[in-house]
Amino acid sequence: MAGGMETGIVIVGVGGQGVLTLARWLGEAALSAGYDVRVAEVHGLSQRGGAVEVHVRFGKEVYAPVVDEGEADVVVALEALEALRGLRYLRQGGVLVVNRRIIQPPGAWYDIGQVLDALKKSGVRHYVVPCYEEALKLGSPVYENSVMLGFVSALLSLPAPPSLDEANKKAFQRGAALLQNPPSPDQ
Amino acid sequence: MLGNEAIAYGALSGGLAVATAYPGTPSTEVLETIEEFKDRYTHWAANEKTAFEIAYGAALAGARALVAMKHVGLNVAADPLHSAAYTGVEGGLLVVSADDPWMYSSQNEQDTRWYGVQAYVPVLEPSSPAEAYAYAKAGLELSERVKHPVLLRSVTRVSHVRAPVEVEPPAPPKWGNFVRDVKRLTLVPAHARERRRELVEKWEKVREWADQYMTVEDGCDKAVVVTAGVAYTYVKEALKRLGTCATVVKLGMSVPLPRRISEVVKGEAIVVEEGDPVVETQLRALGVSTRGKLDGYFPRYGELTTGKVAAGIAKALGLPYSPPAVYKSPMAPPPRPPSLCPGCPHMATFYALKIATAGLNPVWSGDIGCYSLGINTGQQDILTHMGSSVGLGHGVAVAAKRFVVATVGDSTFYHAVLPQLVDVAAKSVPMLIVVMDNAYTSMTGGQPSPSRILPVEKITEAFGIPTFVIDPVYVKASIETVKNAVEVVKSGRPAVVVSRRPCTLMAVRKARRSGVKLPRYFVDVDKCVSCGICYNVLKCSAISKASGGKAYIDPALCVGCGVCAEVCPVGAIKGEGDRAKWLEVWRQA
Repeated sequence: MAGGMETGIVIVGVGGQGVLTLARWLGEAALSAGYDVRVAEVHGLSQRGGAVEVHVRFGKEVYAPVVDEGEADVVVALEALEALRGLRYLRQGGVLVVNRRIIQPPGAWYDIGQVLDALKKSGVRHYVVPCYEEALKLGSPVYENSVMLGFVSALLSLPAPPSLDEANKKAFQRGAALLQNPPSPDQ
Repeated sequence: MLGNEAIAYGALSGGLAVATAYPGTPSTEVLETIEEFKDRYTHWAANEKTAFEIAYGAALAGARALVAMKHVGLNVAADPLHSAAYTGVEGGLLVVSADDPWMYSSQNEQDTRWYGVQAYVPVLEPSSPAEAYAYAKAGLELSERVKHPVLLRSVTRVSHVRAPVEVEPPAPPKWGNFVRDVKRLTLVPAHARERRRELVEKWEKVREWADQYMTVEDGCDKAVVVTAGVAYTYVKEALKRLGTCATVVKLGMSVPLPRRISEVVKGEAIVVEEGDPVVETQLRALGVSTRGKLDGYFPRYGELTTGKVAAGIAKALGLPYSPPAVYKSPMAPPPRPPSLCPGCPHMATFYALKIATAGLNPVWSGDIGCYSLGINTGQQDILTHMGSSVGLGHGVAVAAKRFVVATVGDSTFYHAVLPQLVDVAAKSVPMLIVVMDNAYTSMTGGQPSPSRILPVEKITEAFGIPTFVIDPVYVKASIETVKNAVEVVKSGRPAVVVSRRPCTLMAVRKARRSGVKLPRYFVDVDKCVSCGICYNVLKCSAISKASGGKAYIDPALCVGCGVCAEVCPVGAIKGEGDRAKWLEVWRQA
């Protein structure tokens, strides 16, 4: 990726969606590709159903564990409203990847179309990926993070993490295939 | 591996025999990792003080021991920490304390390193998981060599960072052999005075130990940057980003300062550290003119980032610096505060409490744990530290003569509330104590709680306090029982309600493993009258407010507890599946 010697990724979503697992997989994949890696996690209270963000940095030599605002090459959002919150991390010209899914925040109702329209108008380079739908086709929403993993890995030319089990590998391949045929080639 | 796993493996390769902890973010995985090694003695203690005492005792007896906790836990263990510096240890004692700058999962931002200054205990400060491994091993060995406890200060961005770490196989545990030494180990005044004199003299020698952990990277002589711990990583990146160079002095031991530092740092220095200006304050005492947190070059609150460090260094050196451009969100993201998991038993307990105390305008005295999230339904008026529920509630009840509802989890009950119960019973303070017993320390990932072997009601009944047990998923029955407890309090005596149902997360995991299918609940939109009781009062996070104020249950989030169906006044919420079977599997989780 452009933007310096290290690649910075910020993964955002809602507690319980597997944000941490997705970040660990990406870290493991980068390590197996021979990079130095830092994955900065959050645990405890911040995991309880609220907004969750995890940072992944990899490159030849990495020191700082966190990505600054305006410095991420890729922001990965497992949930569309969280994409809005995570956008501040994206560097100019970076890529936002959004799962086509809304998890309604307390006391409010948002329509996915409204969020995606706003993103389209913002001029940010982004992909909308139907991870949730693909996961349901595979039998369970638990696969949405592995579908996303496949898509992002294809985008970053990273291999599948060695520890992926068969079911998740299948989801990974679905996700990777979506990049070849982007469902919505936004801007 | 995770930084906390690295600390564990470092200690194991240093011959660790005894390891104790009380769970707390971001420290928990240290003991979780060591637990896997069955040839060591490990224990999740009732609180940080009892954890500390076990490890301290083991180290007095000559073993290599570790105790792990979060920063605020060290306050609880502060008493024996100070004694440990007086007596010293015979084996090795490594005290791991993990700070949480920006309070991702804490109530304050305190800096563990002050305890090093205050208690005369040297502080090692790793900058990365690989260094955490090395320092944990070296710290145990150092402690035994110099017969003194050693603090290992971690932070969220070391403990909860995954990075490559090369580890050696664990060394065999080094157990102890107690040797009597009354003058050293009994701190009566006559002996303690002697120990105090020794301690002050020893502290000067400790500065020589610190020398071994200081590294100097000669970049150039434009500036000297003194740094420690994770701040070092931001310094490295910030210098690169600024396109400048400096002599970087990295302190592996940040308390006390190494003796050799005066040879390297003369005149002035930029000081970059995570937390309080602990290194900077010590440097100023040596007469160094510093630019750091004291004069606002770096912020005094929150976490450092490469950007903040670059801005501070640029300001100190008079260099231009402009932060990267940031995209503005095309629409404001809605707030998404942490909330109780769908189907959490605490949610149902809070609902029952709200209904049963209606009209009493209670003061909700809260505590630290998942149930802190009762704040979302307005049921936490006070919430400050482990044990605040009953301790502060007692004070409020007697001072303001208000109806106090103290809510506390089972793990926190054993941690802090047991002695407070003595106070409440002694004065027969009229207050309602609600122990939300979900059988785990859930917030930190589900460590075992003593509630299974020492049921709360056996203890409270032994204190003579009327005690009522409810299962919160049966909402109507629970409300009636809580009302009985409320009557006891109204008559001028304390009462305890034990609300018992295991943590939903553990139960769902168990159900998945054993192939039990969870029931699902859905809303009949034709029957729903948009009253909002399920999403505004119960506030289940699987239920949202859809068009026309109708309730909508997200099928991917619902765990089939059925509490919403019980609270719905018009029977608009219906279930599919076998609730009774699921609740029974859950009860045994």
